[in-house]
Amino acid sequence: FGPCQVKGVVLSELWKAFWAVKNTVQAQDNITSIRLLKPEVLPNISDAESCFVAHALLKFYLNVVFKNYYNKRVEFKILKSLSTLANNFILIISKLQPSQENEMFAIKESAHRRFLLFQRAFKQLDIEAALAKAFGEMDILLTWMEKFYHQL
Amino acid sequence: ATCVSGGLPQPTNITFISINMQNILRWNPPAELQGAEVTYTVQYFIYGQKKWLSKPECRNINRTYCDLSVETSDYEHQYYAKVKAMWETNCSRWAETTRFYPFLETQIGPPEVALTTGEKSISITLTAPEKWKRNPEDSTVFMQQIYPNLKYNVSVYNTKSKRMWSQSITNHTLVLSWLEPSTLYCVQVEAFIPGPPRLIQPSHKQCVSTLEDQASALKVR
Repeated sequence: FGPCQVKGVVLSELWKAFWAVKNTVQAQDNITSIRLLKPEVLPNISDAESCFVAHALLKFYLNVVFKNYYNKRVEFKILKSLSTLANNFILIISKLQPSQENEMFAIKESAHRRFLLFQRAFKQLDIEAALAKAFGEMDILLTWMEKFYHQL
Repeated sequence: ATCVSGGLPQPTNITFISINMQNILRWNPPAELQGAEVTYTVQYFIYGQKKWLSKPECRNINRTYCDLSVETSDYEHQYYAKVKAMWETNCSRWAETTRFYPFLETQIGPPEVALTTGEKSISITLTAPEKWKRNPEDSTVFMQQIYPNLKYNVSVYNTKSKRMWSQSITNHTLVLSWLEPSTLYCVQVEAFIPGPPRLIQPSHKQCVSTLEDQASALKVR
């Protein structure tokens, strides 16, 4: 992710985990007129900005989406995928070290605005609907991550 | 036309068949109405937007497929489609697809494979599969331009020793060296992209024989 180097994470494991539950999870999302990871949130992110955005999004998925989803009554198959995804996110976040240097302030602000677009849309929904939608949009998130993985 | 909704069973197995970004919606007629003069109407939806959209060419049609390649050609988007059956004054409820993400789900067609033989070598030249074109005269876009991380899996089979091996490459040429002369080798290639599991279409198997060993040919004379 731009200046952040992440090694040792096998993205295909994440794909396999999500693909196993994709249709089940996306079928729980009935509000198809709303997309959290809108086209304006992710694409055309500079390398430098991608580290901040990835860090913010992955932390949100870990601390909000997976955590709350885990407490719901879900089938075992989803729990199994959920823990694979969560464990890999913990690994990635531990390796993502967004720069704290001053000259990165503007980039950090731009990344934060992008993340707020996503978070605001999430908060406008009822929590159950928001969780299902965010989890169902992991294919969009992983596609975006894959593009940065490819560039390493 | 107005009709009694739910008076007919729904079409079944509604799904997108997508190869090189040509996205065709297919379905089966309602179970009990095989052969009846049933017509169908299709609509599609862009995830995150507000309205279902119609495709005029797929309204009141007899066939059980509808090409939605143009309507679903934006890689950044995900789509749904739905179909309803109509017969006389009755119609079914809509039958809907799961969320369709062409960028992740399109099958990658086989590359074109050209083989040239040497005494103990075979040169393989690959041409990437082409993306579906709206019009034949549109400029060609290769799938590798859409997926920079596209790779090829080359499988080689020695018909004499019955040995098979394969190799993953990213560029378009591969020279197989240290082969046995005067031996028939079969080659098959498939294109794949790291990411979610995708259906893969391998190339046709092509078999060529390496040339005769020139040294032994001279001795014989």
